[in-house]
Amino acid sequence: MKPLNFLTVLFGKAMVKTLKLMGRDAGNFPGLVLWTLNKNYLKVFSCDCPIIAVTGTNGKTSTTNFLNNLFRSLKGKNGKKAKIITNMQGNNLDTGIGSMLLQYCDMNGHIDADYLVLEVDESHVPVIFKHLKLETLVVLNFFRDQLDRNGEVETLILKIHKFLKTYNGNLVLNADDPNVARLGYSNPKNKNVYYYNVEKYEGATDELYEAGEGRFCPKCGEELAYDYYQYSHIGRFHCPKCGYGNIKPYVQLQSIDFENNSFSFEGESYTTKHMGIYHLYNLSAVYAVSKLYNIDHRVVKKVFGKFEVNNGRLEKFETANASMLLNLAKNPVGANMTLRLLNQDKGEKELLFVLNDNIADGTDVSWIWDINFSIFNGVTRVVTSGTRAYDIAIRIKCSGYDPDRITVQPDLDKAAAEIFKNGGTKYGIANYTAIQPTRAALKRYIERKGGEKS
Amino acid sequence: MSERKLKLLHMYPNVLDLYGDSGNVEVLRYRCAQRGITLEVYQHLMNKPDNTDFSDMDIIYLGGGADYEQQLLADDLMSCKDRIFKAYENKVFLLMICGGYQLLGKYYKDSNGERIPGLGLFSYHTEASTNKRDRCIGNIIVETELVGKKYKVIGFENHGGQTTDVKTPFGKVLHGNGNVRSGETEGYCEERVIATYLHGPLLSKNPQLADYIISKALERQGADSTLAPINDKLEEACRKELLTRLLSK
Ligand SMILES: [Zn+2]
Repeated sequence: MKPLNFLTVLFGKAMVKTLKLMGRDAGNFPGLVLWTLNKNYLKVFSCDCPIIAVTGTNGKTSTTNFLNNLFRSLKGKNGKKAKIITNMQGNNLDTGIGSMLLQYCDMNGHIDADYLVLEVDESHVPVIFKHLKLETLVVLNFFRDQLDRNGEVETLILKIHKFLKTYNGNLVLNADDPNVARLGYSNPKNKNVYYYNVEKYEGATDELYEAGEGRFCPKCGEELAYDYYQYSHIGRFHCPKCGYGNIKPYVQLQSIDFENNSFSFEGESYTTKHMGIYHLYNLSAVYAVSKLYNIDHRVVKKVFGKFEVNNGRLEKFETANASMLLNLAKNPVGANMTLRLLNQDKGEKELLFVLNDNIADGTDVSWIWDINFSIFNGVTRVVTSGTRAYDIAIRIKCSGYDPDRITVQPDLDKAAAEIFKNGGTKYGIANYTAIQPTRAALKRYIERKGGEKS
Repeated sequence: MSERKLKLLHMYPNVLDLYGDSGNVEVLRYRCAQRGITLEVYQHLMNKPDNTDFSDMDIIYLGGGADYEQQLLADDLMSCKDRIFKAYENKVFLLMICGGYQLLGKYYKDSNGERIPGLGLFSYHTEASTNKRDRCIGNIIVETELVGKKYKVIGFENHGGQTTDVKTPFGKVLHGNGNVRSGETEGYCEERVIATYLHGPLLSKNPQLADYIISKALERQGADSTLAPINDKLEEACRKELLTRLLSK
């Protein structure tokens, strides 16, 4: 036992305990304090179980939750259910993960679990896994987020690329995102690179339909050619000059059937609750991991078919005669995905859009102009809310939607009452700081009025 | 009355496409359509030579881009120099945001210390700090008199470049930074030129500015430049709220 480690852990645990006594969630705080004292504090932790991490701009929380459920159904060391340690959404920076590990480790900093399944912020992959040995890294996608509008996406990718140069563990990559697939070349010696994708689906387009990121070949700089786009810049691409992009996927999601919410992997059929194309990409990543760990396909079937994340990720809210599907959108890609689901739905529906401009949202809301509202099938009414309720209303209006059918209601409780004024199908989109208050307002409404018909 | 039609040239839509800037074209198209005016949009793409007669356009539009992208297109832009100068002489309306604004000046020295030559159509120039974190970021309100009266323009700025030697600024800064950190003025303008740092996109919350551009473009054609009022209730409410929130601080 190193005395310094012991003291660090003791101090850290004391902080966690104090916060709990005060009735507060540990959050990032204890990790932040330790980090302030020692930038390399994560090395006090040791762990011999496999660590599986998920990173990328969109879909980390859902994918991590699915993996968590998969691994939980396995048998652990002691023959009982596997013990999984996983971080909560929002605690995906090194300080959040540090705080969480403090709660689970013994006084030597040792973590006893069967699997660690972690969601990790893109920019924190190198710093976290400098000290914790990573077994499998899943990279979902890279989109421009609000905070990095000045070529920061490229900086981010280069950071992960640098980390991967000496990494020999499993690398599970989206074959259809040119910015992710390129990471497969970071370490030519790594034999454990696995690609996943989804076969061309009925919503795929020949031309880029939504704003995208991957225009140029990361190897030679030539403009990439696409056979088709699934969504945003995700699709089957190749470089006409150097051939980059001719990838044979390890797993491919096939036979997509929107009627029955089903699809297949390697001839086996699976179902899921929601058929959004981006969700199918996440499931393909999850399937690739399940294959790497030899998880029985019956287990996978059960998890795919039953599990829902329910944290503002395609979460359902129901009253006596209305239902809403609410989804988080931190960037245009996220919002476009919900609009795809809305447009896939043939009937009439209403849309609630909650837009905030708090610091964590990046304060700038101009990204909403990169949302593609040109197809807006069967939307009979729009309610907007949040600190920038008018901005999103203007944006929707200028796409050609009748302004008289837009109701602006900055107050969330009033907006919830407004959207449930009529029965029927609703969709909800809320950005980063708006999602939890929106969920809370919807729940409050349902508690009060959910039993009555609108 | 004959049908009114405008032509807009969108330069580098794939490269100069910082968040939302292409929304300016969408706003112009929408406001034209509401008055029965057809807005035809043409594109000039990087390294794809075309024979488009820029002087045949009514509006030329350039959005903003990151340093890397501005460098990429510097050569192509230079190859368009004569056509842009001629269009300017022919009173084509020039609307330029952020990177577009910078590149039409004398030069832009970016955050890597690279000096990108500008077209030199206007005499201002821009230098960015090499500290990449040293940027002017936030909501901004500028008061312009370009539209014939005092009009508050609301937008969002995000630029490292500091632009100086601006003879006729677009407006006076009421909130935010403008051409330089804590500056007093923002952008550059002439009767038929608006060059500004304002994203948002610029025209989304400033409908009178959008209508000014449309009117001026129609006027040049000798067409009827009057624009019937349209339903701007959302824009008015949005402006009222933001002006109160930002100016009362
Ligand atoms: Zn290439």
